[in-house]
Amino acid sequence: MRPSRKWMLWTFFLLVALVQLFPLLWLANFSIVEASGFFTDKILFWPDAPQWHNYVNAWVDGKFPRYLLNSVVVSAATIILTVVISVSMAYAFTRMQWKGRSVVYSIILLGIMIPIHATLLPNFAIFKELGLTNSYWGLILPYTAVSVPFATFILTGFMKSIPLAVEESAVVDGASIYRIVFRIILPLTMPAVVTVAVSTFLTCWNEFIMAYTFISKDALKTLPFSVMNFAGQYSSDYGSQFAVMVLTSIPAVIIYAIFNEKITKGVTAGAVKG
Amino acid sequence: MHKVLSNKLAIFTFVFPGLAFFLFMFVAPVILSFYYSMTDTIAPGLDVNMVGLSNYTELLFHDERFWLSLRNAILLGLGFVLIQHPICIFFAIMLDRIGGKSEKWFRTIFFIPCVISVVVISRMWLTLLDPTFGMFNKLLSVIGLDSLQHVWLGDPNTALGSLLTILIWSGFGWGLLFYYAGVKGIPEDIYEAARLDGAVGFKLHWKMTIPLLKPVIAVQMTLAIVTALKQMETVYLTTNGGPGDSTQFVAVYLYNQAFAASQYGYANAISILFILVCLLATFVSNKLVKGDSIEY
Repeated sequence: MRPSRKWMLWTFFLLVALVQLFPLLWLANFSIVEASGFFTDKILFWPDAPQWHNYVNAWVDGKFPRYLLNSVVVSAATIILTVVISVSMAYAFTRMQWKGRSVVYSIILLGIMIPIHATLLPNFAIFKELGLTNSYWGLILPYTAVSVPFATFILTGFMKSIPLAVEESAVVDGASIYRIVFRIILPLTMPAVVTVAVSTFLTCWNEFIMAYTFISKDALKTLPFSVMNFAGQYSSDYGSQFAVMVLTSIPAVIIYAIFNEKITKGVTAGAVKG
Repeated sequence: MHKVLSNKLAIFTFVFPGLAFFLFMFVAPVILSFYYSMTDTIAPGLDVNMVGLSNYTELLFHDERFWLSLRNAILLGLGFVLIQHPICIFFAIMLDRIGGKSEKWFRTIFFIPCVISVVVISRMWLTLLDPTFGMFNKLLSVIGLDSLQHVWLGDPNTALGSLLTILIWSGFGWGLLFYYAGVKGIPEDIYEAARLDGAVGFKLHWKMTIPLLKPVIAVQMTLAIVTALKQMETVYLTTNGGPGDSTQFVAVYLYNQAFAASQYGYANAISILFILVCLLATFVSNKLVKGDSIEY
């Protein structure tokens, strides 16, 4: 590419990146602006008196640590369950020989297409009957169910690319099938596992409607809820509301920043090999 | 080797948990939903009165809202297919060309909105588009377009368009990532060969890159349609279907019928039709756009 065109492209990309980031920058900016500052004509500005106490409101009155803990517990449990279930299924779908494996595979993939909103109503009835509403399991189970189909799809695509010779030598050494899957295959599928773990994390961390439906006890609510709670409690104090939103988003952005390259690699492998 | 890989017990142990999850979380609810859809119950656990298929006939022949929400989903789907995805494809190709460190940086920045919770996104855009202190109207006045200032989400004429804008903004990163992965899968020597044949710039990409991306585009088109149909949280948290029914979507409608209007039986009938519509849409768009190599 010629330097002049490269330069034009660069400027254009920079502009678009600014448009992408602007709403978030604005959110962060106005989280330290006092209420009256919302009516100025300024677009982005450093306030004369930064309202850091908005973050204190968010942390204390927003019960941020409590919701943070809930989000961490639910996300961690879901990720572990999803990875274990999907890795074993993907192995059975790619390597093991059994009748009906392509049928079962297609059935599992149907889970990607079935809208969770359609299963919300009956699940609400079932969970209520089983006493799963207002418990961590009431979120972990549906989150896992939603994550497994996509995770299996990605992992199956990735496992196809691992040469069979890897297992052959292990079998000769007398390793059991479980040892092969979790000690030999799992480390080799790590790039895809990371993709799956991060995308599952983002789903759990940000999910709203199931939590909103299945959880009503304050002590069990997850982070997206804190935003809603706070919006009701501090309805006119936009600065504090924005502070909660910023705090909620930070962990997700950090996780993304750390695993950014791995996500791209995992998606690339999955998308290309299908 | 063969013996180890056809170990029945191991296969069962590997597949059963996932399958059990599927049965418990997808199949059982659908069956229960079908049962409730033939009743006029107002909330789960309350009196159940069988009413046969009357909920379905009501829904299909007398419920304008249901059809309106499907129409909105189709409009939104068209918006995704005709606006969002061409933008994503364009950026994916350009991103690959820009190369070096900036390629990585731009890719990272473009994806950031995708990691933000839908609750934050919705509330943020509600304030951005707020008619009194919203940033969007302020920006318009800064560039001298005061006349265009508007109650964006509160006007039936602009509500759906505003919603599409929010969704394009927040979904841009995922679309870009998948197309980018597709572009990266095209070997560089194919480009070299095309250049030797005299193809450059726009023509090169139109004749070469786009056709080679066909499998990815096929999958993404199906996903775009399904995403439009499944739209729920962003709508629920911003317009809740309004004003009027101008942004009504099936999932929002069924949710409000069940939990706000106490029409649990009827809402379950919507759920069942909703699943059928999604599966049908997947099937049809798969058939329509399917390339020869991709399987999904």
